[in-house]
Amino acid sequence: MDTLAPALAHPPQLTARPQLDLELRSIRKRFGDFTAIDGVSLKVEKGQFVCLLGPSGCGKTTTLRCIAGLEEPDDGDILIGGKEATKEPPWERDIAMMFQDFALFPHMTVAKQVGFGLEMLKKPKAEIKSRVAQVLASFEIAQLADRKPGSLSGGQRQRVALARAMITEPRLLLLDEPIGALDYSLRETVMLELKSLQQRTGISFIWVTHDQNEAFSLGDLVVVMNHARIEQQGSPEEILRRPATAFVASFVQGNNLFRGRVAEASEGLLKVETAVGTFLMPHLAGVVAPSGSAVSFSVRAEQITDTLGYRHLNRLSARCTAVEYFGSVRRHVFERADGEVLKYDQFGAHSARIVPGQIVELGWQAEDTVLHSGKPA
Amino acid sequence: MLGVVVVPIVLLAWVSLWGGRAFSTASPLTFDNYARFFANQTYLKLAGSTILHTAILMVVTGVLGYCIAYFLTMKVRSPGWRLALFLAFIVPFWTSTLIRAIAWVPFLGVNGVINQALMSIGATRSPIEAFLYSVTGITMAQVSLYTMMAAGPVVYMLNSIAPQLREAAMTLKATPFTVFRRVTLPLTLPGVVIGQVLVFLNVMADFATVATIGGNKHALLSNLVLLFYESSQIRAASVVAVLLMICMLVGVVIALRVVDIRRLGVER
Repeated sequence: MDTLAPALAHPPQLTARPQLDLELRSIRKRFGDFTAIDGVSLKVEKGQFVCLLGPSGCGKTTTLRCIAGLEEPDDGDILIGGKEATKEPPWERDIAMMFQDFALFPHMTVAKQVGFGLEMLKKPKAEIKSRVAQVLASFEIAQLADRKPGSLSGGQRQRVALARAMITEPRLLLLDEPIGALDYSLRETVMLELKSLQQRTGISFIWVTHDQNEAFSLGDLVVVMNHARIEQQGSPEEILRRPATAFVASFVQGNNLFRGRVAEASEGLLKVETAVGTFLMPHLAGVVAPSGSAVSFSVRAEQITDTLGYRHLNRLSARCTAVEYFGSVRRHVFERADGEVLKYDQFGAHSARIVPGQIVELGWQAEDTVLHSGKPA
Repeated sequence: MLGVVVVPIVLLAWVSLWGGRAFSTASPLTFDNYARFFANQTYLKLAGSTILHTAILMVVTGVLGYCIAYFLTMKVRSPGWRLALFLAFIVPFWTSTLIRAIAWVPFLGVNGVINQALMSIGATRSPIEAFLYSVTGITMAQVSLYTMMAAGPVVYMLNSIAPQLREAAMTLKATPFTVFRRVTLPLTLPGVVIGQVLVFLNVMADFATVATIGGNKHALLSNLVLLFYESSQIRAASVVAVLLMICMLVGVVIALRVVDIRRLGVER
């Protein structure tokens, strides 16, 4: 027993703790008067697919460039694979990056281009040659080996850029809107390919995008950014079901946003008064919202119903302005009494009951109402 | 084009082939004039030194011009400063070559600015006479005259390289020097070649600088043309002129072989 005790006390924690591929500790970056990143902290576990999502100018690309070493943060730390890297130049970091317009070298053939990273690592010529051939084959671009980028299509360029970045098997692959330059019809396929590539290789991906469909279908972790800050980070489901702030609720599709004041903070539920009625919702864990304070909350379009029951405590009448049918979903667009839009999604399999022009009483459960933290924007 | 360029050249070539003693259109056509030129050791040496001199200038202006172009486009961040520096470099080109050449005389002379400066900082005790009326002086003046010709096209090419290309190379583990060697330099090579062609053509044709700074003690092929012309040896003058033109043509053809200038700016 005595010999076992010390062994149990220490080592297991070290191996059990998941290794972080990347850690950002409240990094800040200013360009003159413009604050590009304001205290961004992030932990990326080994092999995670992280999507930085936000509108343009929110700081997601600057964050990526800081991770790559192309910008140096004014403040904060960057750890790559647990190693301090804040001051390291890009060529000393264990990363690779794929640029939005792919940044292929116009004077190099595809083979030379893809082998560039290995050449920089001073690998023997024969090894580079066989490895390039292997990678080109696995990306199905072997036939392009002797072509120059100028003669390639968008999809081919994308593959070359990806092959060039992946060949050195970096710890982190940084992707700046990697499919933004592709034709819309190609994106879906490329997205699926990239996801399966990421899962196969176990390389952590940090994917910057302004497209929430990309972020929610690809990311293990979605980081929503706005105005140089992280608004919320979590799994796609967490962000879709529990938007943490008014910004996230309005940025992510399918939410109905309300603003109001706390009328009554009772034990069980919070009562919030808005321009279109009074609504009940659960308290936010750990947050005290005193009576009279301004708050915002949201409810997802698919949580609303027009088949009201005793559990639908939150009710509201609105005029239907449009009905859109998407096959799996029938979306009803309503105009609220305060002029804002309210969306109500129904399974497409249901038969249509509501027609534009009709005034309908809608309702949803208090539990499906999500109170936001922070001041309502 | 035909009237201003081709006809004079044909005329020149024709005159260079005139034989006989009389200076008339009835002269028989012969290569005697050329034979006489190539038989003369002094002329051949002059041709050799002209080519050597031009080569030295191409190297010096090429390196210097590239450095200036790189500094202007990569290191000067403020657009205002960049414009100011660029203007400072090109404004002198608004005056004629002859005037710029003459402007060097007070700089290079025994009591000139350079000697005064050298003596005041104690670098030399007595003035250096080698600056004016010497090959060194000619070279110095021509370097200052033609460096911007070498730099201009490089500035253009450097500006056309997307910054992401250098960044992409850096994220692929290339150090700044490797980025320059493998990405920046190859992509600006067409600009370097065009600059070199401009310098080559101008130095080969520049008799004014050689005459003023060289003080008629030194000559290159272009001065020989002038010399023959002034002494009414029109046939000899046209022979040298034709040879000079052939030299220039060969130079341009070699340059075009190295870089396809016609594709400049098309490639991304």
